[in-house]
Amino acid sequence: MHLAYTPEQQAFRAEVRAWMETHVPKEPLVTLECREGYDQHVEWERTLASGNWGMVTWPEAYGGRGLDLIEWLIFEEEYFRAGGPNRANQNGIFLLGPTIMEFGTEEQKKRFLTPMAKGEVIWAQAWSEPGAGSDMAAISSKAVRDGDHYVITGQKTWSSRAAFADWGFGMFRTDPESKRHKGLTFILFDLNTPGITRRPIRQLHGDTGFAELFFDEVRVPVENCLAGEGEGWNVAMATAGFERGLMLRSPGRFQATAKRLVELYRKHEAEASPAAREAVLQAWMAAQAYAYNTYAVAAKIMAGGKIGAEASLNKIFWSELDRAMHRTAMQLLGAQAELKRFDDGSVNQWLEGYIFSLSGPIYAGSNEVQRNITAERLLGLPRVGAG
Amino acid sequence: MDMLLTEDQLSLAETVRDYLAGTHGPEILRRLDADGNRDPAIWQGLVDMGLTGLLVPEAHGGLGMGLVDAALLATECGRACLAEPLVDTAFVGVPWLLAQGKTEQLADIAAGRVTLPLPHAINPWVADGEGAPLQSVDPLRNLFASANDNADPYLLDLGALMSAAQLVGLADAMLHQAVEYGKIRTQFGQPIGAFQAIKHQLASCAVAIEFAKPVVWQAAQALQDERASAAVHVSHAKVAATDAAMLTAETAIQVHGAMGYTYEVDLHFWMKRCWALAGAWGTRAFHLKRVDEAVLGGTLPIGPEHTFA
Repeated sequence: MHLAYTPEQQAFRAEVRAWMETHVPKEPLVTLECREGYDQHVEWERTLASGNWGMVTWPEAYGGRGLDLIEWLIFEEEYFRAGGPNRANQNGIFLLGPTIMEFGTEEQKKRFLTPMAKGEVIWAQAWSEPGAGSDMAAISSKAVRDGDHYVITGQKTWSSRAAFADWGFGMFRTDPESKRHKGLTFILFDLNTPGITRRPIRQLHGDTGFAELFFDEVRVPVENCLAGEGEGWNVAMATAGFERGLMLRSPGRFQATAKRLVELYRKHEAEASPAAREAVLQAWMAAQAYAYNTYAVAAKIMAGGKIGAEASLNKIFWSELDRAMHRTAMQLLGAQAELKRFDDGSVNQWLEGYIFSLSGPIYAGSNEVQRNITAERLLGLPRVGAG
Repeated sequence: MDMLLTEDQLSLAETVRDYLAGTHGPEILRRLDADGNRDPAIWQGLVDMGLTGLLVPEAHGGLGMGLVDAALLATECGRACLAEPLVDTAFVGVPWLLAQGKTEQLADIAAGRVTLPLPHAINPWVADGEGAPLQSVDPLRNLFASANDNADPYLLDLGALMSAAQLVGLADAMLHQAVEYGKIRTQFGQPIGAFQAIKHQLASCAVAIEFAKPVVWQAAQALQDERASAAVHVSHAKVAATDAAMLTAETAIQVHGAMGYTYEVDLHFWMKRCWALAGAWGTRAFHLKRVDEAVLGGTLPIGPEHTFA
């Protein structure tokens, strides 16, 4: 263990900081969950790409900088220090991208990764179906082979970004006789393909960030299948691992929230309860713990290790931390907490953040599912119904 | 920047873990509880492993290792619920003597001939010392009334750090015991560990322990590196480890049901050590206050760019 940055790492941090200070929008963008905000965030993706910051860990051949995970963490720290906007393409760069890197053909890597890193193609996920939420193996949307195409029929729901995005990815049942985890195939599709209908769903905050997707005999070329036909479950588990594990929620995000919470506490100290004070300290401690753990996991991966079911511990930790921090902020704001805009006209970011934080323990596999995975795969407890 | 525990560190910890698992099982705890609490043969085994000399410089007959190594082994001592005063003498006392340039006892400590009681103003007792005996809830803890006027801050940090390291080991062990019990205890026609009501509680313990450990290793490295902020990190570690261990202790007894409330199930040894160490070398309130002074008081830079401040 050596807890000091090299001169090269420090220089890299300075480079990121200088760029972010110049380029991060001074005013917060409108929420990503509406048309206006989506367009602003896509514009930001392209600004990032102009500095070659789209996805720093990817090889240069695919629009990245070929950096290692410590440099990625430094990048993320500086990104959140500067108050960088949410990433419109997170489904692409953090989830699908690493999956394509692992399972894609050379042709698929060239075709999909560079436009993803450059923010030219924005991706939606299409995991859930009305009858397949936590129980993802219950997927029933079909993809039937017809020559060099799949013909997709069915329905996906809670598809993040699907209201406005360009492309989507999801699992479809290619073997009609198959059950559960078998016979599923991971397919990428252009959201503007004829036969796809998007129905935006109004979310808790009133905006429409996610959507239902209806597939009515949608023809998708066979070359859009990732890994082999019937390999979908393995591919999806890898994607879910990226989602719950290292990439989707880097520690900088929570450390920045904890810092803002400390500042909020100072403003409201006179009327704050001792419990709120302790909750603020807990927020800082937990965000730091998450950062130390992430540095340890990054070091392990760089030494040739892998992240497995431990990703479930991560997902439980960051999602419940995020909710706790925003709950504390709401308590500190007191009667102002319900205001969508404060007296000075500024958006109540804590309220927006609190609402968003309530989705954390649900998306990317509900925390109940994560606790089952932890208990069964890490602790070795028997599966339900074993006897 | 490298937060990786080395192969050497992990394999040393594994060696000690295996040794203690083989020689210091629950039957030993029960024997010690029935008969005198301390056993020179157990102590000699630890000496023969080189553990009393772990932090003693090679020039004085020790292994010359660092606080991260010691914290990893303190975790193993917690896991085994070790009763001998190894952690106090070898992992807290030795670096404290070294910091003062006092080297005359080191060879004797490494050779196992001397143990170091560590009176400190933060504690209302001294462990394995002299004086009027006090009775701890932990049946294997030997406490004595003592005039503690030493308020040395480095000794306090060492004591708190090594308590935190033991607490995560204790927590690991209690979680393991609860999991094993959940596999074999059958009710309603299935192992109780198959019920989500049990699984989810134990999973929450696993989360708390997983995220307490790197805080402890980070604090050990900070103290080793003499970082100006080391005391804050030690306090963070003590709070995180205490919370994880207390949660796991309460969950483990709940999973054991009425069996967990008996003296005959081994769990109680670990649980009581956890209660004892939770308040030793600074209470939760004491350590939280030090974090408070740093974070809300503004003496420590915070935010994403200050992960290792």
